Amino acid sequence: MPKLRFTRWASILLLLLAAEGLRAAPPEDYRFLSLTEAAEQAGEAGKPMLLYFGRYGCTTCRKMHAEVFTDPGLRERLNRDFVLAYVDTESGNRIRLANGERTTEMQYATRNRIFGTPTFVFFSPQQKPLFKKAGFQSIEQMKQYAEYIVEGHYEGMPLADFLAKP
Amino acid sequence: MRAALVLLLLGALVGEAAASALWQFEGRLGVGGEAADGVYHHLDGAGRKHLAISAQTVAAVWEDNRSGDPQVYVALKRHGQVDFSPPLQVSGGSEAYEPVIAALGGNRFALAWEQDGAVHARLLQDGSLSPSSRLSAAAASHVSLASLGERAYAAWRERRDGTWFLQVAELRPSDSGGLAADGVKSVEAEGTRTPVQFPSLAVNEAGLCIAWEDRRAGHTRLLVSHSADAASAFDPPRHLNEFFSNRNEYDKGSGVTRVSLASFGADEIVAAWMDKRRGGSGYGIFAALGAEGGAMFGPNEKVHGEPGDTEPHYNPATAGNPAGHFVVAWDDFRHGDSDVWLSAYNDDLEWSEDFSPEVASGAGEQTHPAVALDPAGGLHLLWIERARPDAPSRLWYSYGAPRP
Repeated sequence: MPKLRFTRWASILLLLLAAEGLRAAPPEDYRFLSLTEAAEQAGEAGKPMLLYFGRYGCTTCRKMHAEVFTDPGLRERLNRDFVLAYVDTESGNRIRLANGERTTEMQYATRNRIFGTPTFVFFSPQQKPLFKKAGFQSIEQMKQYAEYIVEGHYEGMPLADFLAKP
Repeated sequence: MRAALVLLLLGALVGEAAASALWQFEGRLGVGGEAADGVYHHLDGAGRKHLAISAQTVAAVWEDNRSGDPQVYVALKRHGQVDFSPPLQVSGGSEAYEPVIAALGGNRFALAWEQDGAVHARLLQDGSLSPSSRLSAAAASHVSLASLGERAYAAWRERRDGTWFLQVAELRPSDSGGLAADGVKSVEAEGTRTPVQFPSLAVNEAGLCIAWEDRRAGHTRLLVSHSADAASAFDPPRHLNEFFSNRNEYDKGSGVTRVSLASFGADEIVAAWMDKRRGGSGYGIFAALGAEGGAMFGPNEKVHGEPGDTEPHYNPATAGNPAGHFVVAWDDFRHGDSDVWLSAYNDDLEWSEDFSPEVASGAGEQTHPAVALDPAGGLHLLWIERARPDAPSRLWYSYGAPRP
């Protein structure tokens, strides 16, 4: 399982200062929120969070929107069991980090070294970052990641071991 | 074989010398005070114009939260002074962001920024600020400035009834002693339903040039337009970045963002931006040179060199001067932590090898450069330093004397 630098992700509790009204498009029929709203909701509900770093018009994002996020089972699973956050990696939308700093979604992505889109970061119900996946992910992979967290397997085994199980 | 190796090494040494020979940086000066817990500086104005030189004065503008809320500050250093002046607060209101600055004559400067959802401007003269004036008529942000002699121009984005407009105006002295937007016009009269972002403005004797991020094509492209003067309409937008697509049915082209323009020579323009055309390596820094004030641009050129080519690059800034010098600065973390990097045309009219000034590299994060070139070709550099990405920040300035 990739080890994330927790200090970089600890600033996940954010306060959105100035939404522009239009955000780069997350997939339709999913309850994607701003990072601020999602972090607040996830903390209050004790739900895991999926943070999606996307880019407006990004090729692989569009492919996943058309071929992966359209799966009814995945949509139901993510909408029901996760709080969903979306960050536009080229946006000037402002957010405030837990340390009080005001920055933009783009700078937040840069600081966390999100090189490509889509990139997905999965958080535990305790809002601890568990793993990051970049690039195209299949329906089956996304479902496995969700199952690994929702069913609590993350507490007992690395993701790679879970995925290798027959 | 041995001779070839020697030649190769000599070539590498000569190449490195050629790059680092552009400027000689001597030390650095703090701007705006020491790093303090909970205080974070930002240099993220449209076009990255945070530094300007007028006569004997260098001025730096930034945003930080020293007061508890984000506000805009400026500091000055006159030639011969050892340090920058204490920060002077430029903005008011509850929050202010993304300031920019342009030089006028006689140690005077135009300042613009976003404040509480509108765009404002002030004149800085003899260390004093004029009254603040609001430039925008509706919700607005992402203001950019450019100047030519005593004339300053501003561009910003404005949203009315769900439509986005790029507005351009000349800034003229107002009755209150400040700056007022005169002859405001839209680059495209009908606006767009999709967002426009971070315009950058440049001006020279051949007119005004504006470039921006545009999403009307379903992904972000850089568009550019030119106007012969402030009274004339802007040309229909043209593509600035070359884009490549057709990898599959979902591909609309390579990603681009954050363009910076600067005028150089009599009527030329340098444009630089972040460009993902290299595939999985993240953003590269690409540029194009414009003639006739930006009425036409040449082909896209990769600015940075092969070392570090597999790493992403961020925050490009441009500067030029009437003598014909121009430079592009950016940051990347090819050495682990971020450093500031520079490139400019060499004698062969090619982008030099990347050069990271010692003052703006090494331990910690050195990011978000802003640059200005004085008439003699001296390079003024402003940037942010942090011990860690989430640590308190501080601003540094350094002057690079042109090597003979």
